[in-house]
Amino acid sequence: MKKYSTTLFSALLILMTGLSPQLQAQDAEENNSHTVVTAPSSLHLEIGEEVQLTGHVEDAEGNIVSDSLIFFTRARRSLQITTDGKIKALKPGSFTVIARSIQGGWQDAPRTNVPVQVAYPPVAEVSLNGIPNNLYAGTSLPVKVLIEDTMGEMRTNVDYTISSSKPSIATVDNFDNLQLHQPGTFTLTLQAEDQSSSITKKVQQNPTAELALSHNYTHKTVRTGDVVQFNAQAKTAGGSAVQDAPITYSYIGEPNDDLGHGSIAQIEQDGRFVANKPGKYTVMAKSGNTFVEHTFRAVPRNVQQEIEVVGQGLVSHTRTSDLWIWEGVDGRDYAVTGTWGGNGEAIFWDVTDPKNITAIDTVTVDARTVNDVKVNERGDIAVITREGASNRKNGIIILDVTDPSNVEILSEYNKDLTGGVHNTFIYEDHVYAVNNGRRYDIINIEDPRNPYTVNKFELGTPGHSIHDVWIEDGIAYSSNWSDGVVAVDIGSKNSAEMPGANGSPENPVQLGSYAYPSGWNHAAFPFKSESTGDFYVVAGDESFPYGLDTNGANRAAGWVHFIKFDDWGSPKEVARYKVPEAGSHNYWIEGDKLYAAFYNGGLRVVDISGELMGDLYEQGREIASFFPRDNEAFIPNATFTWGPQPYKGYIYLSDWNSGLWALKLKDNNANGTD
Amino acid sequence: MKFLKPLFTLVLFVVIAGTENLQAQDYYAYVAAESEDMVHLIHFNAETQQATIAETIEVGRYPTETDGPHGITVAPDGKHWFVSIAHGNPYGMLAKYSTETNKLVSTTDLGMFPASMEISEVTGLLYVVNFNLHGEMKPSSVSVVEPESMTRITDIETGIMPHGSRIGASGKYQYHVSMMTDELIQINTQTLEVSKRFKLSETKGGMSGHKDMDHSKMEHKPVEKPTWAHPHPTKPLIYVAANGSDELLEINTKKWEITQRYKTGKAPYNLEVTPDGKYVVVTYKGEGATGIWDLEEGKEVAKIENSRKVSHGVTISPDSKYAFISVEGIGGEPGSVEVINLQTLERVDVVETGKQAGGIYFWKQS
Repeated sequence: MKKYSTTLFSALLILMTGLSPQLQAQDAEENNSHTVVTAPSSLHLEIGEEVQLTGHVEDAEGNIVSDSLIFFTRARRSLQITTDGKIKALKPGSFTVIARSIQGGWQDAPRTNVPVQVAYPPVAEVSLNGIPNNLYAGTSLPVKVLIEDTMGEMRTNVDYTISSSKPSIATVDNFDNLQLHQPGTFTLTLQAEDQSSSITKKVQQNPTAELALSHNYTHKTVRTGDVVQFNAQAKTAGGSAVQDAPITYSYIGEPNDDLGHGSIAQIEQDGRFVANKPGKYTVMAKSGNTFVEHTFRAVPRNVQQEIEVVGQGLVSHTRTSDLWIWEGVDGRDYAVTGTWGGNGEAIFWDVTDPKNITAIDTVTVDARTVNDVKVNERGDIAVITREGASNRKNGIIILDVTDPSNVEILSEYNKDLTGGVHNTFIYEDHVYAVNNGRRYDIINIEDPRNPYTVNKFELGTPGHSIHDVWIEDGIAYSSNWSDGVVAVDIGSKNSAEMPGANGSPENPVQLGSYAYPSGWNHAAFPFKSESTGDFYVVAGDESFPYGLDTNGANRAAGWVHFIKFDDWGSPKEVARYKVPEAGSHNYWIEGDKLYAAFYNGGLRVVDISGELMGDLYEQGREIASFFPRDNEAFIPNATFTWGPQPYKGYIYLSDWNSGLWALKLKDNNANGTD
Repeated sequence: MKFLKPLFTLVLFVVIAGTENLQAQDYYAYVAAESEDMVHLIHFNAETQQATIAETIEVGRYPTETDGPHGITVAPDGKHWFVSIAHGNPYGMLAKYSTETNKLVSTTDLGMFPASMEISEVTGLLYVVNFNLHGEMKPSSVSVVEPESMTRITDIETGIMPHGSRIGASGKYQYHVSMMTDELIQINTQTLEVSKRFKLSETKGGMSGHKDMDHSKMEHKPVEKPTWAHPHPTKPLIYVAANGSDELLEINTKKWEITQRYKTGKAPYNLEVTPDGKYVVVTYKGEGATGIWDLEEGKEVAKIENSRKVSHGVTISPDSKYAFISVEGIGGEPGSVEVINLQTLERVDVVETGKQAGGIYFWKQS
């Protein structure tokens, strides 16, 4: 019987397995012979217009075989669409809606593409701006064209013309420069679609007979990276100042070598000049037919110093994440480092003698990653973060580090923090914990065994996300990817460089923010320049556009952005430090030095003294670099520097693959000139 | 002819189950290592009874962040596999890979902490729950993705912490559970609407909630904390892992009532019914074990200790012979995939994986 049944089963199996591909092929064939027909077959919409798409599936003979379709698009931010075909145009452009059989199965479901054109709204208003009252013959100046559509959007993609009623007096070139040829009255008319705007102006004889050029480096050597402020003064033949004479600045440069440099200098139209490369420069100022020039030499900045390894605390069994160095309550110096993708360890080190860095304790918690480690101002309490807890309740661990050789876990706090805490900051007995990449929770740890949440800060922007937070003088500076850096008053001090808004941990108040297009904002660090008194928030990127290799060397991208705040409402990005073929991670500023970890680019120590403008890397401001690598590292000889901390004359840094390092700049060659 | 396909498939399973001479030798399954940002292709050789990692694929976006591959599924034609990446800035994503090359094909963004998923053979669409594991206690969604173009078509609002997305044999319904509202939820795969909400904890006799109930005002004190739902291949039954009450629930979807409650090991988490309908295999997350329940007898016929703690997922070969169990482990400990012979009810091999082995899905046997 068994043999018989087996034979029968086998026969059936052969039958079925033989039939199954035939059935699938038949399905596919059926699908291939069917087409989706929509009404209409294409769409031309205005913004805000709504329409209902319908459709059905036909066989080869044109018979309707199904009316069950779904409609969808990848342009969901531009077209609002429901699966039953209701469409609303949100943004202008060319898009595709896909109509697909809902019963078509897995293979080759019948579908068709419906092209959708959404027209731009008509222009509502145009205007010419930026033209002063006094215009002088022989000069030129840029005019600003503003075009607003009926949806209130400022448009830059509309064709327009600017015509002059008297071309012999004034014209506008293809780059919107107003060229003033001779005295007289003229009218400019801006036309875009069916909207136009006119402005009538008068050109006067240019009273400028002479230009004088001064700068703020008189009797001082100009080094690469020094921002020289030029100031051209227009005067009449009688010696009176012409305050509103339009002046343009330019330069000619001859670098010291002919090695094919790119941009060797930069000049702004407010007269600020910075040399990237040493050489001879001539700065020119021009107003009409009058010009003046000044020639000078820029010498190498010459700030390079040697850097030496003082000590190392090798971590080879796992990856190392963040670090914190502090003076313990016993007066000795200690460090704590986190671990990444490992066994949930935080390693404590005695670094009193940085030549002999010694691991003195390891705290292991239920986690895979202890990304961040922080110690409070008194040096007795530490907080470590958890990701990858086995019960999926991550949160933070609060430690007693009074005796870093015998660290005690005081409490585990995960209320509303189960998503994982990536970064923290401790400030005045409160922990600011970046929660699940969405917000930071503010946790009172006055009694570290009984922490409690007092408030939280979260942005309200669509899809907002946060990575890190740093606090100085009662102001929290968070880094928020595409939302950039955000300053929040959590108890602003009088010592703060910028005014607060009566915030507190219980009542955090947003002060200002700055975002940049890449959306790579990963870290933020405020600093007041010791040499100029200017206040900056330095925003660091993190990006890995080249993919990842968790077992080998990796390459990052991104740089450090210098954002100057004169007040909270008008931040301006003025300079950058970008290392070719590497990417920024964590950094620290002490005095007028930037200590920056650049992953595969190692540690960079950068002179950020003086006014900052342009490309600091090209200006020769790099003081030193160091590439930590060790043949016994977790990944041998693969530099991947995580973060630095200057401390008592040494530079400590953590490297993802090789652990903790202590370095020191040698006291040589810091004379500032050649 | 389409209606014949499920019937033929069913007969095929029966035939395979009854045929001793025609045996597959090589079994393959994909498993995600959530804390390692890796997916492993597991190969099990039935002749040697040994499992190995055939290939490891790195997934995710950031080398210095744990992106967290969580749920995984394979297309019905076996040509592509899909993995949900839990973390992003802030949203997770779905990634599509070729099974031929194991190379990334395409991605699309999803909601918060996207997790388990499956594809309906009727609609050809992929249904993935946005678990929003660490979010606020508010309803999340099931994202529906057209997997060919990798377009997220729509999000269907569902319960709080939805999990365990599985498609019934007819392909017409998707089932998942709402962990924090103690609900089994059915979605019509063609109308893309919630077609049934079934409350698991209010009455032992079973009481179905109405799909239009205002769940935002419900008090969220879950009892069952259901974490997984899996439909029976031939009967109108859904099996649910009640993680909070240590129970295996059987729900009859004709009557919409709980027809069986079985007390299980600690914290049942994932489960799957064998294609022949004989067993349901349940992971016991809280005790590092796997239970095998005979559905005819209504009893646990084997409890097999896992090699480490935190048992997670289960996938079963189409011939109903082998169950592949993923086990997370703790901390720096590797995860594992454990192969259970469902004929002998014994664990036959363990293969270590990256940390926190979680989502697991069978690919092919040959």
